[in-house]
Amino acid sequence: MKIRLTVNGLAYERDCAEHKTLLRFLREDLGLIGTKEGCGMGECGACTVILNGRAVNSCMVLAVEADGAAIATIEGEASGPSLSDIQKAFQRNHAVQCGFCTAGMVMSVKELLSTTPGPSVDQVKDAIEGNFCRCTGYTQIIEAVMELTGHPETKGELEHV
Amino acid sequence: MFDDIDASELSYVGKKADRPDMLEKLTGEAVFVSDMEMPGMLHVQLKKSPYARARIKRIDAVKAAAMPGVRAVVTGDELDYHIGLYIVDKYILAKGEVRHYGEAVAAVAAETLEQARAAAEAIRVDYEPLTPVLHHMDALKPDAPLVHPDLGTYSYIQAVFTPKPGTNIANHTKLRKGDVDKGFEESSFIVEREYSCPSVQHVPMETHVAIVQWGRGDKVSIWTSAQSPFTVRNLFCHAFGLPHINVRVQVPYVGGGFGGKAGIGVEPLCAVLSRKAGGKPVKFQASREEEFSLLPCRSALTYRIKTGVSSEGKILAQHMTMYWDSGAYADYAVNVTRASGYSASGPYEIPNAWIDAYTIYTNKPYGTAYRGFGHVEFHWAIERHMELVASAIGMDPLAFRIKNALKPGSITLTGERILPSTGNVVKCIEEAARRINYGRLTDEEKARERKTGWKIGKGVAALQKAPAMPSYTATAVVLKMNEDGSVLVNLSLTDYGQGTYASIRQIVAERLGFSIEKIKVAFENDTDRDPYDWQTVASKGLLMSGNAAILAAEDMLKNAYAVAAEVLHANPRDLGHDADRVFLKHHPDHGVAFAAMAVGYALPNGSGIGGPIIGVGRYIAQGLSNLNKETGEGNPALDWTFGAHGMIVEVNEETGEYRVLKVASIYDVGRAVNPDIVRGQAIGGMIQGLGTAICEGYIYDQQGRLLNPSFTDNKIPTAKDLPLEIECAVVETPQIDGPYGARGVGEHSMISVAPALGNAIQKATGAELMHMPMRFEDVWRAIGKKEPVDNWITKSPVGSCRSAPELRKRD
Amino acid sequence: MVYEFRYLAPKTAAELAATLDDVKSDGKLLAGGTDLIPNIRNGMLKPRVVVDIKKYEGAGRLAFGSDGLTMGPAVTINDLLRSKDARERYPVLCSCAHELASHQIRNRATVAGNVVNASPCSDMAPALLCLGARAVLRSATGERVVPFSQFFAGVKKTVLAQGEFLSMIVVPAESAGTSGNYLKLKRIAGHDLGIVGVLMTRQDGRIRFGVSSAAPTPVLVDTVSEKDDPDEAARKVLAAVLPISDVRGTKEYREHMIGVYARRLFTEVK
Ligand code: FES
Ligand code: FES
Repeated sequence: MKIRLTVNGLAYERDCAEHKTLLRFLREDLGLIGTKEGCGMGECGACTVILNGRAVNSCMVLAVEADGAAIATIEGEASGPSLSDIQKAFQRNHAVQCGFCTAGMVMSVKELLSTTPGPSVDQVKDAIEGNFCRCTGYTQIIEAVMELTGHPETKGELEHV
Repeated sequence: MFDDIDASELSYVGKKADRPDMLEKLTGEAVFVSDMEMPGMLHVQLKKSPYARARIKRIDAVKAAAMPGVRAVVTGDELDYHIGLYIVDKYILAKGEVRHYGEAVAAVAAETLEQARAAAEAIRVDYEPLTPVLHHMDALKPDAPLVHPDLGTYSYIQAVFTPKPGTNIANHTKLRKGDVDKGFEESSFIVEREYSCPSVQHVPMETHVAIVQWGRGDKVSIWTSAQSPFTVRNLFCHAFGLPHINVRVQVPYVGGGFGGKAGIGVEPLCAVLSRKAGGKPVKFQASREEEFSLLPCRSALTYRIKTGVSSEGKILAQHMTMYWDSGAYADYAVNVTRASGYSASGPYEIPNAWIDAYTIYTNKPYGTAYRGFGHVEFHWAIERHMELVASAIGMDPLAFRIKNALKPGSITLTGERILPSTGNVVKCIEEAARRINYGRLTDEEKARERKTGWKIGKGVAALQKAPAMPSYTATAVVLKMNEDGSVLVNLSLTDYGQGTYASIRQIVAERLGFSIEKIKVAFENDTDRDPYDWQTVASKGLLMSGNAAILAAEDMLKNAYAVAAEVLHANPRDLGHDADRVFLKHHPDHGVAFAAMAVGYALPNGSGIGGPIIGVGRYIAQGLSNLNKETGEGNPALDWTFGAHGMIVEVNEETGEYRVLKVASIYDVGRAVNPDIVRGQAIGGMIQGLGTAICEGYIYDQQGRLLNPSFTDNKIPTAKDLPLEIECAVVETPQIDGPYGARGVGEHSMISVAPALGNAIQKATGAELMHMPMRFEDVWRAIGKKEPVDNWITKSPVGSCRSAPELRKRD
Repeated sequence: MVYEFRYLAPKTAAELAATLDDVKSDGKLLAGGTDLIPNIRNGMLKPRVVVDIKKYEGAGRLAFGSDGLTMGPAVTINDLLRSKDARERYPVLCSCAHELASHQIRNRATVAGNVVNASPCSDMAPALLCLGARAVLRSATGERVVPFSQFFAGVKKTVLAQGEFLSMIVVPAESAGTSGNYLKLKRIAGHDLGIVGVLMTRQDGRIRFGVSSAAPTPVLVDTVSEKDDPDEAARKVLAAVLPISDVRGTKEYREHMIGVYARRLFTEVK
């Protein structure tokens, strides 16, 4: 089936197998491999992209369903050579270890901040609850978001005794 | 490698520094094997066993092989390769018999995933189901079916392991220290209990994946999501009888490992398919379900401990028996057993000890290395036991721990003497206790209890771990100077998220005296280009590769100085350098830029001298030895990292629900090279440990089918599961032979989280938890003194909790 | 996903009904996809045709009228949660909705999808049962209205006949303002299926319990009266459920927790 959609502001028109998930379409057909598959079953959030303004698990959306949609992925997050504010905050706060959850995590945070510019810690947790991260223990990710939104005091440090 | 340099004199080590991999990972540009596509690449789907144990009567793959797009179909029958890390006991695909649910019996490589799936479904397999042996304690019974009837014919590493042919015992590790009988004789109290935990999945977010191309002339290229490129190459070559020179292993960015990708995984399977498909590259990516059931997990453990204590609370004797559930294959589990065996008592001094540690085959997915290498599991037991022994003899558990803790002068189980520089576990315990106001409730906490009706409890648990590795483990680091004087660092210790490369970069910058921006650690690893490293495991990376990096930096400077000496007509001993140039110390204006020498120095007349500047650093573990097979005596430990967690929990006594209010984790890391990375390891591991403690674990049915091979019923902690408050701190007792005094902490953060929680829950409610995970239902059962159930499908008993605690007071 | 199928997206409700009539048991309806697509992926379902229910005019309508709140089959959980009117008038519906899965899933999963699957652990079912909601079922031959109290027919079964689809959920105007609380016991604090879930609602002295994960279908209990004591209330709730042991917990614990929750809710609301 022929579909048209915009991804990161660029228009695409492609023939797409009807059973193909949006995740596979982005990765295999458009070469946007930044979005990852962690389970393919809607549980882990590694595949999170923004579909018409909402964070969704792209492994549970068919590409053909997204006909006509506007999609944002990690590849569109940095503008030119400079990282977005979210990315910079992640970098400063060591919010990335293996990096496999990162794309999805950034997308979830992006949707959160688009609707809730000054979230509480609980709101951040609510927003990223569906994004598993096995490496970081989430703390430095939450600190990154809180620092970005003006609450650097939530940040902890390694203490020396 | 330790120079006693004050922190104030260091520019990079101990300071904040960015991770070098951030940009790629934050923009989606980092390429993982799961992202890779090769021209003409084929995709794999598997046919897997629905039975835990069955004879394969017949496999009919004729139809599948003829289906569109199918380029290769392979069954176990046509292959005769054995694979094994320590005991060579595994086929690439099951042959003759399947030994666990989810084991692969046939594989298809096709042009598309869809075609491969259709063909795999078209394969017909006739099985004759056999009675499986599922629980490791049942597998020890004399009439138990044998998982490996041919155990006696397998090759294995004889200096280290002891399989018992004719039984399901894959290894028996022994340790005998002092005279236990006499120790018990002299004891005023004897307490004997049993503890257990199930198999658990690592859950790297990137599942196992490899691409293999079996080229002409048996030249094999492997791209794999693995921790240890050289071990993949070595085991691969052994399995296929290929010369090492024929095989090239490349490891790009890796989406987490946690020990599950320590050894060899799906590479041989891809290799046989590629060979059969005429050398096309073949990719297999495990689905999440396959990650749970086809790929290895962490072994289950049953641990029985009998402790004799003096009237003053000093442990006099301890008898320890570990039963490790290896599952269908030995893989790393035999070595987990060994490493756990020789440190079975945790960070405590046991003058008279008797240890038997068994690795037991069962018909279940097999066990492997997992962050902590057995220490998470047995510390669960030992640190719960310390708590129960203390309360049984009427002593405060904290005081009991401190009294028996390893201190300078203590002798470990294997006979090693603890030095002041080994690390300070007592300080870790005391600091963890202080940070949670151990032993009392604050006014605030009392008010909270009154308001919520939930009971607050506090617990502490200590930990220790040394790397489990061959006594002659080695690594190397190569530095190459670029034309502009910047430096490329090559090593094959991999960084799959731990952040070791950031620390190595700091160490290199520090030792060279260069600005850190000029140092690059190359991320993608390649056995054809990088120097050897044994494996990226065991929390030995920073210490060993850090030392090699220091040596490489020194070598690089020496080589640069040699050229500079010629250019400057000086004796190298009179030279000094800064970030950019080498100069005469007594005449600093007279110097030569590193950039001018980097790839060879050109004299004014055009003649060249020197040549590209490189630095090589090699490091091998020193002073370690094999352990005596009968007594366990020897020196296995590169370094010991000690630590402790303090935990505050609130528990609803009516329902068993609980919430972790605070965790304070303390480690003696020697020197925190990069504080943010240490903290990332500390918190990440602690949360992973909390997963093990609260919810994770395999659940089987009576036939040995895994009932929860997905995130639906095998939950891992989410952001909402964080304790309300997290503190982490380091004690820094420099490691004499660590780089700038540092020692590893990658695994330690996960150890003893569960017993700290169990101890806190017990303090709050009196619940005696002997089994983890501690699900709300388990806590509710323990509070109500109801029959504990490990697996409520099979109702397999939790032996420990059934046997009455034994406490004897001698006169 | 490696199982192939055809995808159809009818543009009107009538076309949808005709399509369903046409594809018969070969077809599966796709709403949020959060259940269907994983089930196709793991081979549990192998439909030949997937029919998207979201693309017809009005499928995504959430409206308030004299009937009450009406929701088309494409209304997502988060559409509901983002509606200020819904939060004010039907707070109970929204508290159950918030307990469902994760934020990303709530952005896709539909209210209708959560009930047509007839999963015993549906989070929306207790609310719809307690609020007296009705399902409008449509097919090529017409329309019928079924109260949710008669909607669930067994484990993962509803009264939907072949060719029929749930075209609208109606939450009656009379139940606006109903107060209540939903307690869901999970294995972790993060997103999870319930071990048990108990909702108690109260309106004009009328008490209802909706219970999930406690029987082959979601359960409505409307026999509890204000005059009961908490133990009596818990007994009545327990009499209506039939929990089993599975990977998430034992029957014994489930019964205990349903009792605890029923008593707690009853005491709190009183
Ligand atoms: S890959 Fe989509 S949720 Fe895990
Ligand atoms: S950084 Fe590895 S999963 Fe999040």
